[in-house]
Amino acid sequence: MLIANNLTKKYGDKIALNNLNLNIKTGEIFALLGQNGAGKTTTINCFLGFIKPTSGEATIHGVSVTNHSAETKQYIAYIPETVMLYPNLTGVENLAFFSSLANFNYSKADLSSFLTKAGLQESAHHQAIKSYSKGMRQKVGIAIAVAKKAIALLLDEPTSGLDPKASNEFSEILRELSTNGTSILMATHDIFRAKEVAHRIGIMKEGNLVSEIEAKDISANELEQLYLQTV
Amino acid sequence: MVALLIKNFIRSKGLLVGLAILFISGIISLNIGKQFLEKNEKIIQKTSHFQKENIDRYVQYMNKEMGLLLYYVRFGLVNETPNIVGLSIGQRDINPSLHNVTIRNLEEQKYTTDLMNPMYQLIGNMDLSFVIIYFFPLIIIAFGFNLVSEEKEEGTWSLVLSQTANTQKMLRLKAGVRYVSILSVLFLLLLIAKFYLSIPFDIYFTVYILTAFFYISFWFSLVWLVVSFHKNSSQNALILLTSWITLTIIVPALMNALVIQLYPIPEAFSTVLDSRDGYHSQWDKAKEPTIEKFHQLYPQLVKYNHPKDKDFSWLWYYAMQQMGDETAVASSKKLKEKIKQRENLSKKLGLWVPTIHTQLTMNTLCFSDITNYLAFIEALERFHEQKRMYFYPKIFSDTPVSSEKWDTFSLAYFKNQPVINLYMVLLPYLIISTLCLLWANINFNRKKYNL
Repeated sequence: MLIANNLTKKYGDKIALNNLNLNIKTGEIFALLGQNGAGKTTTINCFLGFIKPTSGEATIHGVSVTNHSAETKQYIAYIPETVMLYPNLTGVENLAFFSSLANFNYSKADLSSFLTKAGLQESAHHQAIKSYSKGMRQKVGIAIAVAKKAIALLLDEPTSGLDPKASNEFSEILRELSTNGTSILMATHDIFRAKEVAHRIGIMKEGNLVSEIEAKDISANELEQLYLQTV
Repeated sequence: MVALLIKNFIRSKGLLVGLAILFISGIISLNIGKQFLEKNEKIIQKTSHFQKENIDRYVQYMNKEMGLLLYYVRFGLVNETPNIVGLSIGQRDINPSLHNVTIRNLEEQKYTTDLMNPMYQLIGNMDLSFVIIYFFPLIIIAFGFNLVSEEKEEGTWSLVLSQTANTQKMLRLKAGVRYVSILSVLFLLLLIAKFYLSIPFDIYFTVYILTAFFYISFWFSLVWLVVSFHKNSSQNALILLTSWITLTIIVPALMNALVIQLYPIPEAFSTVLDSRDGYHSQWDKAKEPTIEKFHQLYPQLVKYNHPKDKDFSWLWYYAMQQMGDETAVASSKKLKEKIKQRENLSKKLGLWVPTIHTQLTMNTLCFSDITNYLAFIEALERFHEQKRMYFYPKIFSDTPVSSEKWDTFSLAYFKNQPVINLYMVLLPYLIISTLCLLWANINFNRKKYNL
């Protein structure tokens, strides 16, 4: 579903991503761990089409992101580290707006059900976003991703700054999406969240994918040890 | 999506304040236009009354000699002031819309009418055209400078980019909401102007509306071009404000300097001097040459002669007055030609500068440009000549004052109807705006997926 084939990104002499090879299957959750500057966000940005790789290719559902960026947009949804929304619009309105960008026009009831599903309490649905906490905004971001019915989900540090309960709810949603066939690529610093939710975990260092582990084959402590040894 | 963009726009109080400022300044400008029209109307009414009173008084006291009476009696010609002048006062606050002249030396009298407070000339008028040309672009800049950059700076852009491949459509709609809001204020002001100033819905008002519409559209296309470079908000604001200063202040000032440099008008001074010399020097000269020249000018008046036994006659006096105009005729003609050349050059250069083009066009449409004033001056010359031709035979034949029906001499009116070339008015905006939009389109396509 999400394939990186010798994906390389250079900024002058600096290599941000070095011959990355990845194959994330349908319904699989792949967590990328690594320090800041390891190349996690660059990988996600290459799949999003935000940056052009220097060489290699990223494909989604068999379509090259570089050559058919417009087409691949319909397959993906994205949740950034901090979901920023229009402060003057309510949660429902923001969801309606971003859904309409993706050519989805939902009824108010549908929009509310997406937000509820994402864990946002109903009393907040019609409040302006400026009164939302970060966690609440992340939930709207999840609702936007879910409403897009994308087959691939790209997450860049999605649980950063969320309280444990909200993080847990978020993991639940990811599992549900995965069960429904959504492929998920998640960049994170959170080793325990990665272990808990991902099927496979990759550890990146200086643009290279240095380790790739099946999550079920390793305990959280072992993963932490491996991570610390690697980076 | 449009409804949500409108909601987002309406809930942003700063933008509404911008619209309110535009609307309030527009209303103030209409009030200034109304006051100008009322003041002008008052002057005309007073002059009409004064002319009648003046003629009655002089006829009563100077009833022995027609020549003496006509030394004093003044006849007024009004440059008709349609109500649309209230939208763009232009040259009307510098040059009078009414001239009151005797049949004596005209050149001198052209510059003696001063019915306006010179203070107004110093501070200028904030008419609707001023608001459209100067204020509207500032609000357009305020509404549009961060059209793209605010999305980036507030963090929504990455989410937008991930949701759609057609970000330009969203930006177009976002700009469209602002465009429609500004146009709504413009059309509302024009609608109010139509009724408040009682402006007839004729070709001039229609083209005025079109001009304002295209001018506003030009500024939007310029803003669209600047934001298409995907610079940050402060850079966009700097570029756009610099454009505003350049287009509204620097370029007009430079153009003015260029026009003055290319067409200096020393004749403005020499015409008055020539006229005064031409008349005054005759006092010390022999009468025959003066009368001879007068007869050459008006062969139909050859039968009237200066009595040899008299030192003074009205024929000689008015011939002497006539010489003032004749002496100044060359410099007066040159003066008018140069003013026309200045106007023509300004219009030609203005085709490439929308602010100047708009000001000149609006002045033309509102009968307040220099062409209108020159036409009025030429009409005044014809009017003055007609009065001379009517009264000269009566003066020289010593017709009794009582034989004339003086109450028929009311104010005369001059009506100018400028011919409007719609292509020349609108084409410059179309060309410049289209170029801006095309360039912007190239930029947007090039940076389609830029974070």
